[in-house]
Amino acid sequence: MQELTITRHNELIDPVLSIWSWQIPVYLFLGGLVAGIMIIAGYFVLQRRYRHTDFSTFYLPHIALVLLSGGMFALFLDLEHKLYFWRLFTTFQPSAPMSWGSWLLMIVFPALWANTLIRIPQPFQGRVPLFDRWSAALNQRPQLIKGIGIANMLLGTLLGMYTGVLLSSFGARPLWNSAMLWMLFLVSGLSAAAAFVHLITTDEYERELLAKADAAFLTLELFVFGGFISGLLTSSRVHIEAVRLLLDGPYASAFWVLVIGLGILVPLGIQMLAVNHRVKHTPVAPILVLLGGLTLRFVIVYAGQFSHWT
Amino acid sequence: MEAKPAQPYWNPYVAGFGLGLVLLTAFVVMGRGLGASGAFASTITAGLNAVAPGHVAANPAYAEYLKEGTTPLKDWLVFEVLGVFVGGFLSGLLAHRVTRTVEKGPRISTRNRLIFAFIGGALMGIGAKLARGCTSGQALTGGALLNAGSWGFMIMVFVGAYAFAYVMRRQWT
Amino acid sequence: MMAPFFKFGFFGDNLGLVVAFLVGIGFGFFLERAGFGSARKLAAQFYLTDLRVFKVMFTAIVTAMLGVYYLSVLGVMDLSLVYLTPTFLAPQMVGGLVLGVGFVVGGYCPGTACVGVATGRIDALVLFLGIFAGIVGFNEFYPMVSGFYNATEMGQLTLPQVTGLPYGLLVFAVVLMALGGFVGAEWVEKRMAARKAEG
Repeated sequence: MQELTITRHNELIDPVLSIWSWQIPVYLFLGGLVAGIMIIAGYFVLQRRYRHTDFSTFYLPHIALVLLSGGMFALFLDLEHKLYFWRLFTTFQPSAPMSWGSWLLMIVFPALWANTLIRIPQPFQGRVPLFDRWSAALNQRPQLIKGIGIANMLLGTLLGMYTGVLLSSFGARPLWNSAMLWMLFLVSGLSAAAAFVHLITTDEYERELLAKADAAFLTLELFVFGGFISGLLTSSRVHIEAVRLLLDGPYASAFWVLVIGLGILVPLGIQMLAVNHRVKHTPVAPILVLLGGLTLRFVIVYAGQFSHWT
Repeated sequence: MEAKPAQPYWNPYVAGFGLGLVLLTAFVVMGRGLGASGAFASTITAGLNAVAPGHVAANPAYAEYLKEGTTPLKDWLVFEVLGVFVGGFLSGLLAHRVTRTVEKGPRISTRNRLIFAFIGGALMGIGAKLARGCTSGQALTGGALLNAGSWGFMIMVFVGAYAFAYVMRRQWT
Repeated sequence: MMAPFFKFGFFGDNLGLVVAFLVGIGFGFFLERAGFGSARKLAAQFYLTDLRVFKVMFTAIVTAMLGVYYLSVLGVMDLSLVYLTPTFLAPQMVGGLVLGVGFVVGGYCPGTACVGVATGRIDALVLFLGIFAGIVGFNEFYPMVSGFYNATEMGQLTLPQVTGLPYGLLVFAVVLMALGGFVGAEWVEKRMAARKAEG
């Protein structure tokens, strides 16, 4: 991926940029999901929920670490020169979003890891004495724990935004030339994370809370989509053509049915009914939200590579 | 939250009227009717084509599903059936009828019921292929269009089912 | 003439798939409302205790048939543009017979099995796998049955063409037949309920 610098604005060099296959959308999805989980986990830390034992949200930072590593692995698979991966971290170019991203990830990992130390899950207690000692020390400093919560929320927001900014920076792809893209990916990451926690939690309070939060995020996502689409539609001809790939072009079926219908409207309806106790909670809605989030990345990345300036 | 009791089904004439309006909408908007088995066939073809393209290309039975849209993501019936799942689920959820269960009469074991379900499904797959459609694509759609072959098909479905009903009575009653 | 909208170019293939999804939601919704997500309800048709399958199916057929008929008489819809599965009478009748047997053995038809799966019926899921197996089996043996599969080809053939009767008259006859069937179905259900009560 480092071959593709943002200076590649000329569509004669890349008539259709279709060198990204599944790895990049998966990376963007997992990145967004982890970003959302960090925000939620950070919020729970600030709410002092770590004092209640055995809440499933304790496992969130650990799961986030695994998911983020999975995303990084997908990104790694995409790299042409895998042996030079480390070079991403030897330079810092303020104008290159990829450079920002690699450094951002460098702080995201320790922040997540610090969050895991607040309370080490039962099976891992006593395995590494050093961690146990740090954990004990941490629990005597509530200000530090608060700081970890705030850091997680902040870095999560940055990470979620970054996944969108990364695409926006490719000038040659009109579909991605939208200031709404980072917001879209951030909100989508949040809704996916809320759905994910809703799916795995065993706690009644958390499930209700996140079902409600997810309904709010999904509604917000619809508005952001509206802004994204109308923004491109009122822009230049190339942008109109680019967004029409989604509206009635080759990606219309995936966009309307899989992303908007199955990914947002249907689960939103189910969640609304569930939080109002009209129907029982089922895993269907959160699974649909997660799949919808993944499909959104695929559709945006694929359609974006399809869009061009001529 | 305690489970709420399942609501009774709608009056069959009301449900049938709704179904008829959906079918009419499909005619008016798309110029085609409903279907189900076609979606199965194209999904299978796409799946097999991904695994063994040579085998699929050599068999004319798959060929008709490989014309332009080689992907089920571009197949009309696949999207329609996707909607059937959603509509069925929403309706069942609202009426508190979504439950993980096996439908059977009191005189048959779950294992045997599932074996019969598989055999019945296989027969149905063969029958639907042979008839170029199933109860939705042939009987319902073709029936409303007064399609000659569809009426022949429909009559034989009832004949086959009633003829075999006595044999299968232990499964259902 | 403006319908079918799709054939008159109101929208393209891509949005047609979105229409398919929406139509499917309606289809699935009413199938479930009718009770067709339950194999026992469906099978009851063949033991004459609950004739829902017949009632729902013929109400739907009559509704859509009358709608199509009036729209074409009024000149709103061009009936010749609606897709008609070509008739191959012999394989279609044999296929119907096999599917009918499969119906009473399995308990669902392909469309209702989707609704069954969506509402958690495990037998519907197993039947689903059976359908896949049946289709693959048919396709693998296709070269041996292709002669029969393509026999008695009659092209696009409607009942008015077969009988030589006017379209409207046949529509009327089907409506009468359905109404007679509904009266008969109600009578049969009452008889069966009475017999069951007698024990």
